[in-house]
Amino acid sequence: MTTIRLWWLLARSDRRSAAVLWLPVAAYAVVTTLLLLVIGGSRVFFSWNDDMAFGYQLLALIALTLLVVPLGTLGASAARLSARRRDERLSTLRLLGATAGAVAAVTVIESSALALLGAAVGALGAALLAPLIGLIPFRGEAIGAWALVPAPETALVVAGVVALAVTSAVVSLRRLVISPLGVRTRQNAPAQRWWIVVVGVIVLAGALVAMNLLGAAGSAGGPITFLVVIVGGFAATLGVLGLIAPAILRLMATRQARIATKPERLLAARMILESPKAAWSQVSGVAMTSFMSVVAGAGVALMGMAASSDLSASDAHLVADIRTGILITVIGSFLMVACSVGVNQAAGIADRRELYSSLHQLGMDTSTMDAARRRAVLSPLRVTTIGSALCAAVFIFPLVGLSVIVSPLTLVMVAGVLAAGFALVWLGLLATRAQLARAARA
Amino acid sequence: MNFTILSARDLRLSYGPTRALDGVSLDVQVGDSVAVMGASGSGKTSLLHALAGILLPDSGAVRLTAPDGPLEITALSDRERTRLRRERFGFVFQQGLLIPELTAIENVAIALMLNGVDRGAANQAAAGWLAALGLAGLEDRRIGQLSGGQAQRVAIARAQVTGASVVFADEPTGALDSQTSAEVMSALLDMTVARGNTLVLVTHDAGVAARCSRIVDVRDGRIVGERVGA
Ligand SMILES: Nc1ncnc2c1ncn2[C@@H]1O[C@H](COP(=O)(O)OP(=O)(O)OP(=O)(O)O)[C@@H](O)[C@H]1O
Ligand SMILES: [Mg+2]
Repeated sequence: MTTIRLWWLLARSDRRSAAVLWLPVAAYAVVTTLLLLVIGGSRVFFSWNDDMAFGYQLLALIALTLLVVPLGTLGASAARLSARRRDERLSTLRLLGATAGAVAAVTVIESSALALLGAAVGALGAALLAPLIGLIPFRGEAIGAWALVPAPETALVVAGVVALAVTSAVVSLRRLVISPLGVRTRQNAPAQRWWIVVVGVIVLAGALVAMNLLGAAGSAGGPITFLVVIVGGFAATLGVLGLIAPAILRLMATRQARIATKPERLLAARMILESPKAAWSQVSGVAMTSFMSVVAGAGVALMGMAASSDLSASDAHLVADIRTGILITVIGSFLMVACSVGVNQAAGIADRRELYSSLHQLGMDTSTMDAARRRAVLSPLRVTTIGSALCAAVFIFPLVGLSVIVSPLTLVMVAGVLAAGFALVWLGLLATRAQLARAARA
Repeated sequence: MNFTILSARDLRLSYGPTRALDGVSLDVQVGDSVAVMGASGSGKTSLLHALAGILLPDSGAVRLTAPDGPLEITALSDRERTRLRRERFGFVFQQGLLIPELTAIENVAIALMLNGVDRGAANQAAAGWLAALGLAGLEDRRIGQLSGGQAQRVAIARAQVTGASVVFADEPTGALDSQTSAEVMSALLDMTVARGNTLVLVTHDAGVAARCSRIVDVRDGRIVGERVGA
C-alpha cells in the first residue's frame, strides 16, 4: 500500500504527467473505437446465410486481417507510450525501497487503469459513431443497426484491450533493468544480421514462383485462386518486408548520415539508425495498404472490363460492394497509421523535452527540429510504400498481366491511395508540431 | 583592445511572487571570465539565460557589442535571438545535453552546419577542436559511450567551433569529480579566454570560480558583491 501511495505521489509530481497519462488514454480510446466500428461493420456479413454469404464473409475476413495489423501497431505504441516515464518513476520507487514485486504490481495497476479508462471512452465513441457507419450500403442496403456492437460483445472488446495493454506493459518491463540508480535497457543494439536479408529474398522468390505455378494451374485464375494468391503473396510480402525493410532503412540511413550536408538530414538519418526496426514498424501499416491498393486497383480495373458485359443484379452489387470494402479498409488502415505516428511522435517529444529545449537554447530553430523528425518518418514511409507496391505488382503480374497493372484506373487508384496515406501521416506529424514548439521553448 | 562586450542594465524577472532577478546590472569586458556564484534558487541560471537571450526579462536591457555595431538583445524577436545564439554564442550545460543519436564529431560539426557551413569543412573543423581537447580517436563514439568529462569536452568543442565570441556555461563541472572538473575547467579556459573570447559561467564550486578573472556573488536576484579571481 505504501508503494502505491508513493507511486501516486510521484505520478502527480511528474511535470510531464498530464501528457504521460492522457496520451495513452486517448490512444487506447482510438484503438477501441476503431476496433468496435470494424467489428460492427463486418457483423452484417455474418448475418447472411444465402449462397453469396460465403464469398462476402471471406472478403470481410481479409479486410479484418488487413485492419488488425495496423491496429496492433497502434495498440503497441499506446502501450509503449508512457513506459519510459513510468520506468523512471519505478526507478525512484526502487531507490525508496520498493521490491521488484511491488514494482511489477504498480505496472499492472497503472497500465490496466489507463487502458480501462481509454477503452471505456472508446466504446462510448464507437456507440456515437455507429449510426454513421450504419449508413454504409452493402448489397444495396444500409448496414443500419448492425453497426452498433451490443453491450456484452463491447465489454469483451474492452476487456481484450485492457488485457493486451497489461501484457505489453509487463513484457516491456521484463526487457528493462530497473535499479535504484536508473533505467537501462537489457538488450544491446542488435547486430546487423545479413543472413536475414538473404533468407528474406529467398522466401520472397520462392513465394513468387509458387504463385506463378498456382496462377498457371488455376487457368486464368478463378476467384479462389485469386484470393489464395493475394493472401499468400500478402503474408509473404509482409513477413519478408518486416525482415528486410529495417536492413534497407539502415543501409540508406548509414549512407545519408555520412553524406548529409543539412543538419536536419543528418539528424533524421541518425534517428532512423537509432532503431531501424522502430522506424519501420511505425509505418508498416501503410505497407499493407500500399500492397492492397495495387491489388485492389487491378481488381477494380478487371471489374470495369467485366462490367461492360451485362451483369446480374447480385454481381453488380458484388462489384460495388468490393469497391466499398476496399475504400473502407484503406481509409481505416490509414487512420490507424496516422494515429500511431501521432502517438509515437507525442511520446518521443515528451521523452526528449530537455534535449529539444537545449537545442533551442543553442540556437536551433524549431523548424529544423521539425524537419528532422518529419524526415525520420517520411523517408521510411516512402521506402515502405514503394517496396510493397512493387512486391504486389510482381505477385499479381502472372494473374492479370501487365496491361491491367499499368492501366490508367489501377495507376490512378494506387496514386490516390498513396497520396492520401502520405497526407494522413503528415497530419499525424502536424498534430504534434505545437507540442514540439512548446517543448523547445520550455 | 578592451571593450564591454555584454552589458546588462537593471534586469528584473518574476515568476509569480518569486523575484528571480531583482534589478541586476553587469558589464562584461571582452576576454573576461566571469564566475557567477550564489545559493540554489538565487537567480544564477535566470541571469545567464537573460544575458544569452534565452529568456526575456520583464524589464531592463541587455546590449551586445557585435562586430557590426551594438545590438540590443532584449529588443529582438524570438527568431532573431535564436539566430543570434546560433551565430554569436556558445553554450555548455551541466549534463552536456549533447544529441545522443549523433557521434562526438557530428555533435560538434552540427553547430557549424546550422550556420550553413558545408559538411566537409564542418567535419574538418570539428575534428581539429576534438583533437585540441584531447579527444582524438573518439570522434565516432556515440555520446553514451563517453565519460562525463569527455562529454563535457565535446560540449566545449561544440560551443567554440563556430568561433562564438561569448560562451555561457551553467555548472559545467556540476556532475564531475574534482580531478575531472579541474581538467574540464582548464579546457574551457584554454578554448575561450585564452583565445580572446569571453566566458560567463555559473558554478557552485569555489575552486572552479577561483580560476576565473571575476567572481560575482548573487543573492535573491541581486548582485551582492564582486571579487577578483585568478
Ligand atoms: N520556469 C520557472 N517557473 C517558476 N519559477 C522559476 C522558473 N525558473 C526559475 N524559477 C524560480 O526563480 C528563482 C531563480 O531560479 P534560478 O534557476 O535562476 O536559480 P539558480 O540560482 O540557478 O539555482 P540553482 O543553483 O539551484 O540552479 C528560483 O526561486 C526558482 O524557483
Ligand atoms: Mg541554475
